Amino acid sequence: MISTIFADLHILGPMGRGLVLLALLFSSVGFGAGLAGGFLKSAEATRIARWCALAFAATAIWANFVMIGALVSDDFSVGYVAEVGSIATPLYFKIPSLWASLSGSILFWAGVLGVYVALYARKARPKHAETQPWTLAALLATSVFFTALVASVADPFHAVFPVPLDGPGPNPLLQNHWLMAIHPPMLYLGYVGMSVPFSMAIGSLCAGRLEAGWLAPLRRWLIVPWLFLTIGIMLGGWWSYGVLGWGGYWAWDPVENASFHPWLTATAALHSAMVTERKGLLKTWTLVLIITSFLLTLFGTFLTRSGVFNSVHSFTQSDIGPVFLLAIAVIFVGTVVLLALRDHKLKTGRGFAKQVGGMKLLSRETSILAQNLLFTVFTATVLLGTVFPLLAEAVNGDKLSVGAPYFDRIALPIGVMLVALMGVGPALPWGEMNPQRALRRFVGPVVGGAVLTLAAAIGGFTGPVSLLAMFVCGFALVSNLGEYATPVMARMRVKKERLDVAARRAFIRGRRRYGGHIAHLGIVIAVMAIALSKGYRTTADLTLREGQTAQVEGYDITFTGADLIELEYMESLTANFAVTRNGQDYGTYSPAMNFYPRQREPIGSPAVRSTPAEDLYLSLVQVQPDGEWAAVRVLVMPAVWWLWATLPIFALSALLILWPAKKRKTAAELMAEAA
Amino acid sequence: MATGRPNYKLLVGGLLLVVPFVILLAVSFGRDPRATPDALNGQPAPAFDLIDMDGNPVSLADFQGKPVVMNFWSTWCGPCKIEHPLLLEAPSHFPNVVFLGVVYQDDAAKARVYLDRAGSAYPHLVDPAGRLAVDYGVTGVPETYFIDAEGNIAYKHKGALSPGVLYEHLGQP
Repeated sequence: MISTIFADLHILGPMGRGLVLLALLFSSVGFGAGLAGGFLKSAEATRIARWCALAFAATAIWANFVMIGALVSDDFSVGYVAEVGSIATPLYFKIPSLWASLSGSILFWAGVLGVYVALYARKARPKHAETQPWTLAALLATSVFFTALVASVADPFHAVFPVPLDGPGPNPLLQNHWLMAIHPPMLYLGYVGMSVPFSMAIGSLCAGRLEAGWLAPLRRWLIVPWLFLTIGIMLGGWWSYGVLGWGGYWAWDPVENASFHPWLTATAALHSAMVTERKGLLKTWTLVLIITSFLLTLFGTFLTRSGVFNSVHSFTQSDIGPVFLLAIAVIFVGTVVLLALRDHKLKTGRGFAKQVGGMKLLSRETSILAQNLLFTVFTATVLLGTVFPLLAEAVNGDKLSVGAPYFDRIALPIGVMLVALMGVGPALPWGEMNPQRALRRFVGPVVGGAVLTLAAAIGGFTGPVSLLAMFVCGFALVSNLGEYATPVMARMRVKKERLDVAARRAFIRGRRRYGGHIAHLGIVIAVMAIALSKGYRTTADLTLREGQTAQVEGYDITFTGADLIELEYMESLTANFAVTRNGQDYGTYSPAMNFYPRQREPIGSPAVRSTPAEDLYLSLVQVQPDGEWAAVRVLVMPAVWWLWATLPIFALSALLILWPAKKRKTAAELMAEAA
Repeated sequence: MATGRPNYKLLVGGLLLVVPFVILLAVSFGRDPRATPDALNGQPAPAFDLIDMDGNPVSLADFQGKPVVMNFWSTWCGPCKIEHPLLLEAPSHFPNVVFLGVVYQDDAAKARVYLDRAGSAYPHLVDPAGRLAVDYGVTGVPETYFIDAEGNIAYKHKGALSPGVLYEHLGQP
């Protein structure tokens, strides 16, 4: 093993550190070159900036691989490995250890940024020559910041001497589930990816112009991190459900909220950018939303990395906090000033009020505007709830927390209205529509809503809130299906194509647009799953002696005994429950309590029987090791399965949008071929 | 804006939003989010009648008039092993203080094996079903309760003990 040889020589630490310093050098030079390219309008300087961006990306990504090599080969001379590594940790948990603790996660952040920077530098077209150097400068400034952290206060490569023989192993929560291998990277791809649209917005502000054709790539650069953020948040919910044992998937934990804030503003930005693209309206507003999305990701990162909040996500307090705070202050204030000083250069047209006043009520732009306002209110209220404990403590020293009921109370009405708008928007054209035609267009969606409501009522979901949620979901679902069907029908009518041909061609031509619509589908399904699973859950706390059976919602649950499984890095105490229903055997479910030496309390590991109709969720509260008795919490919830079923939908959506388009040959290439 | 000059409304509005936010973060920075007020501090310690590992009955009432240090621990907990040598030493330094161990979320037989190997200087209670831990509001191990001579909980320490903590709450011997 080459990596083992490197480990024995203790060369990985210096190698990683060298790469980090090189990355810092390249990003700094590139930042300077970007500024020079912007101020002097120099194509040469811009080219240098682009090369530096690629070099930064290569070194930052390489440094990550060096760290992975050190983790895998147990090179405890590397500070971070000594902090989170251990020989006993299985290989498949060693690699995710990269983001198990503070300095590694910042290194990983820099690496992901490297991927985005490289993609932007490769894709950056000469036609955005005026904004591009500024955008590169902004991107590389972000890179300088994160690389500087990795090179100083959060240095994961610092040498440890004497070299320890073993380490403590990563945070147990990371070792408990395979999802920990993908939830954090997805979230990082979402968070870090926001820096590209942000830098593009900053680039156009600095250049003082929004160039033609600027919005289409911007929307694409925005939807990529949006999708990753969506997937990351969903996976986080899944992990919470599968590991934490409380039977829920979203706790309105401050750090969960921190990932939700930029999701909300980015969703709003994706839609307002459409209005800007089509109608030339809301330019400044779109920029504000994009910039806010990035600022909120920084805020989210600060929350996880500063130890201000108590959460499953928080790391211990560290030196990184003050530096991060300073950066946040500079970037927050700086972008506001930049926006205010340069906004008029963008020829945004009339003021916001006049732009809005000019919109027609029954039009897609108005529905998007309404959606934007709802998203803004949503963001503001969730943000307020998140920081309220800080506010209360700062003002009068009260220690309090804002619980789920506050957030649920906001999320329910706003969520229902947003889903309703998801049905209204696609049914309305840009510009204006006469009310009669508009009403006719809503017939199908209303029927869809009614059908779904009826189906839910027959299925036993008769609560008014669930029925309302089902109605808006059915309404939005049918309305969005219309979005898939309309281009196909238009082709059949105008071009006289057969259904299958028309469907295929419409899909190929509008692949990215369909990708967006599929995301809508995912959201509607997710909302349905949330509404039903939150509205109809049964909870039972059972204490069973060995051989004893209890019945919950038709399930017969029998405690058959306990097992103690001793692994090298933890002990697992499992209780076995035989589950049957109406005489049908569903097998044995074994929720466990896992004991990690580093953890102050055992970590539960629930056992779940998941079907599209409902989940049976067993979470162990306590068990006697001799198997005399066990206390278990049993939850029965409908529709949770569908929440995770949206993940492939979002993944498909991402794939459709990201799959590179077939390159069309340029006229020059065609002529060259002909000659 | 068609006016062709900086948008001062945006500047003022934006700064009014952003500056207080940053100040709030700065002020909050350094707070300990885990520091929750302990509701039981100053309250009478919950009474108990339990059996120790040698089979002797132990009751809190037995120790009236003496300060008690009650340490919740388990064999699977790393920090408990770190503080164990200190707890082996402590009773000889504080002869007037009663030390008690409580085995938390663990198997009594495993606890016995551990104590036989690592040593023990005071009785350890078995807490079947973890009721005592619930009464005392234990959030994890190790956790140590300092009960004063009047039988009130004076202080609860989360995490491994240090000599400084013992001196602070039991006085210099």
